[in-house]
Amino acid sequence: MKAPISLHHWLSLSLLLVGALLAAQCSPAATPAPPAPSATPVVETTAAPTATMPPNLAPTAETSQEVVAESEAAQAQELEKGISVVSDEEVSTPRTQHGGDYRDVSTSDAVSFHPYLTTDTGSSSYQAMVYTGALLRLDENTLEYIPNMAESYTISEDGLTFTFHLRQDMKWSDGQPITAHDFKWTYDQVTNPANGFPYLSQLAFITSYEALDDYTLQIKIGEVYAPALSQMSGLIDPLPQHIWENLDWSDPEKNPEINNPSVVSGPYKLVEWKRDQHAIFEANPSFWYHGAPNIERVTIEIVPDQDVAYEKMKTGETDTGPITPENLEEARQLDNVTVYEWWPASARWSYIGLNMREGFPTHDINVRHGLSYAIDKELLTEQVMLGQAKRLCSVYPETSWVYNPDVPCYEYDRDKALEEFAKAGYTFQDGKLLDENGEQLHLTLVYGPNTDQTRGLMAVTIQDFLREVGIEVEIQALEWSSYLETIQAEEPKWDMHLGAWVSPIEPHIMYTIWSEENIPQLNTVAYVNKDVEALFKEAGATYDTEFRKEKYQEIQRIIAEDSPYIFLFYNKSWSGQNNRVQGIQPTVLGIGWNFEDWYLKAEPGQ
Amino acid sequence: MRRSLTRYIIRRGLQSLVLLWLATLIGFTVYQLAPGGPLQFLDEDPKRTSADLERLSDLYGLDRPVVVQYIAWLAGEDWFPLWPNGQAWQSGRCRNDIGDCGRGVVRLDFGRSFYFAGESVINLIAERIPATFLLGFSSLLISVVVGIPAGIYAALHRGRWPDHLIRVTTVLVNTVPEWWIGLLALIILGGYLGLVPLGGMETIGDGSLGDRLHHLLLPALVGAIGGWISTSRIIRFEILEVLNQDFVRTARAKGLSNGTVILRHVLRNALLPFVTGLSGIFLLFLSGSILFELVFSWPGMGRLAVTAISSRDYPVMMGLFVITSFLGIVGVLMVDILYSFVDPRVKYEL
Repeated sequence: MKAPISLHHWLSLSLLLVGALLAAQCSPAATPAPPAPSATPVVETTAAPTATMPPNLAPTAETSQEVVAESEAAQAQELEKGISVVSDEEVSTPRTQHGGDYRDVSTSDAVSFHPYLTTDTGSSSYQAMVYTGALLRLDENTLEYIPNMAESYTISEDGLTFTFHLRQDMKWSDGQPITAHDFKWTYDQVTNPANGFPYLSQLAFITSYEALDDYTLQIKIGEVYAPALSQMSGLIDPLPQHIWENLDWSDPEKNPEINNPSVVSGPYKLVEWKRDQHAIFEANPSFWYHGAPNIERVTIEIVPDQDVAYEKMKTGETDTGPITPENLEEARQLDNVTVYEWWPASARWSYIGLNMREGFPTHDINVRHGLSYAIDKELLTEQVMLGQAKRLCSVYPETSWVYNPDVPCYEYDRDKALEEFAKAGYTFQDGKLLDENGEQLHLTLVYGPNTDQTRGLMAVTIQDFLREVGIEVEIQALEWSSYLETIQAEEPKWDMHLGAWVSPIEPHIMYTIWSEENIPQLNTVAYVNKDVEALFKEAGATYDTEFRKEKYQEIQRIIAEDSPYIFLFYNKSWSGQNNRVQGIQPTVLGIGWNFEDWYLKAEPGQ
Repeated sequence: MRRSLTRYIIRRGLQSLVLLWLATLIGFTVYQLAPGGPLQFLDEDPKRTSADLERLSDLYGLDRPVVVQYIAWLAGEDWFPLWPNGQAWQSGRCRNDIGDCGRGVVRLDFGRSFYFAGESVINLIAERIPATFLLGFSSLLISVVVGIPAGIYAALHRGRWPDHLIRVTTVLVNTVPEWWIGLLALIILGGYLGLVPLGGMETIGDGSLGDRLHHLLLPALVGAIGGWISTSRIIRFEILEVLNQDFVRTARAKGLSNGTVILRHVLRNALLPFVTGLSGIFLLFLSGSILFELVFSWPGMGRLAVTAISSRDYPVMMGLFVITSFLGIVGVLMVDILYSFVDPRVKYEL
């Protein structure tokens, strides 16, 4: 065994793993559609060149803008007399294209089927196959919350009491009805601190959660909280109380349901799960939403790396496979594969974090502005990401309903950069930027994981740009865990770090990364601005969408001006599917949202 | 003779236990020194707050001093006293329910995994041992089948071109990492030519013997590379040593044919120690071949180890560490004891 060399392999694997986790954690609150097919590439390495994409498949900037505009209109509801929403959606007509075996492939197996003890993508996609539970779901076109398992809901005049009326025809796979008591029981377990739910604080706004009768759920909250609907819908998916009641909550040895759910509510039932090998699911005929899904059987095969998975898609051995930026161009040319592309509403965006603590050169706002002007972010987006990304100037990407296009963007301008540095007391002399003592400005730039080629390329490009204005940049590439530990240190030693966030659709969630109380963990740069915090609090304490939008736009302007980050770009998403897979409709939510409606053409495509 | 052997085994057994304990101490310290921790999956997650982290750290006992965590891992936490000053040595889970307290490795409780959402470490490992054993055993078999003839051939043609050829190829192949050869073979034989499956242990839904052998072939062959190289080197060395001994010269002087000398006298003496130690070597093989499984997505302990290490899943890492150390130490012990049986010149004293 050659351990030192295998280390690289470990690293790249751990990177994939962590990358996948990252993407999972930051994704929007669960939607009922199984995100089965690998959607977002989590680790970009060097990207492939742009190519024209079929307009009917890929929502371009224009279409995503339309969606956003519609969503604003939909969300701008008045709350003067409370809100009452009733769905007339008919959910019993069966689907008509039944049959077939969809062969999925993944590099990360699930950890467990326990919805409240896992946070990784692998697990959540397995869980979405067998459990569906969102009271409301995001409309794929308007991004508005629409009734799902609740066929109607009302919000009281004061905005503090939410009443959900469940559909009465929903059944567990053993024929028992799905009731409000299942929700209530699940809520009670999740909120028991001894049960170790990682996101417990996300539920802290709820003061009472009661089942008034079999089909009525009443949730009360302490004060008006804008993300209330999304959190209520997304965080508590019911487990079958009649099965789980007498079993242990967290120990798989005492509770076989944890790793082998026998009674389910979702579109599929688990047939077999062999860890690190495969999982097989079959359609659940008693699925409440239009009955059994079209695709009869879903097999998820676990392979060690993305290249093998891609190879399998290419040879037709599987119906999908992960496409990395390097093989995107090739994948688009494959005869048996269609590549679906979209700009996601929940986008992954990259930035350079600037250490705002006292004693660091980047503490000075003029230095931060100077750095921003000195780096050609347009060029980074075009050249490093090869068109698979778009510029971002502040906290929210263009696909967000609160996006503000009118913020300072610091377009590349070397002279302006030098002006800003001069304001901060630096002089540019003989190609060096000197401080008051005549010492050249040195900055450190940290990035991780060190196996990420894209970040490496970005770091070197940034180093080159800053050399142009006389700044010497020292690059530190770290292994993922060390990177996290370094950027989250109580007393950090770095000036700049490369990072990325996946912003959830609900804009309020990102408050955590700008709040003082989350220094140094989420707020690594130690950004403190009381105005921004006040605006976040105001925006979070109303259901008035127009008002909220104004506040978030103001936040974007202030943060862009303060420049705690140099905002870079957000990424496109894509997914390759065999041509025999039909019925896929990419939207800003991706392609997984209507997985139950996908169907397979009779002949397996080669 | 018998008495001293028993004493020898007991003494070596005790020494091995101490060795194992020292290994866990070092292993635990090293793992704890590595940056990050089991909760690092929440580090970059805007959905959690500092309060969530504190609550989970307490629940799983990660906020305790490392020494306390080690003692809890080794000897359990159910007997920890509750200090009057409110300092808790027990994890939150243990305080909530005495039944959830760890009982420690000494009582064969390896704890529960963080990453695998509370799955017991022993189950996780036990699930994967058969796959690792199968691959290890197949590789060993191939190493022996290829390595012994190669070694004999090289020894008998010492200094001539077959010897050089075998030596040069073995050295060449040995300088290239196995996983790289594995990956290359997988891409060419599996990807382009489609002769072997692209990893895994069986075709989903098939799983017949033929299918499983088909899946086993390439990983076992590549996994055997290191084995047949060392086997052939050892055999070559042993034969050359025996060839130089007086009884061989005597046998030749008596006019026995070359074939008889080699088969009856040389091989027997040269192979005996090697074959005797084989069972021990097998265990060493297992504890060493773990990383190699990755390339072939072989669902054994290797994949588990990588997952555990990258997610800083301390209980699983330590569980694997103890098991592989145990296999390694028992392997060495068995080799030593068996050699002493076969070769009377080996003394039991240390």
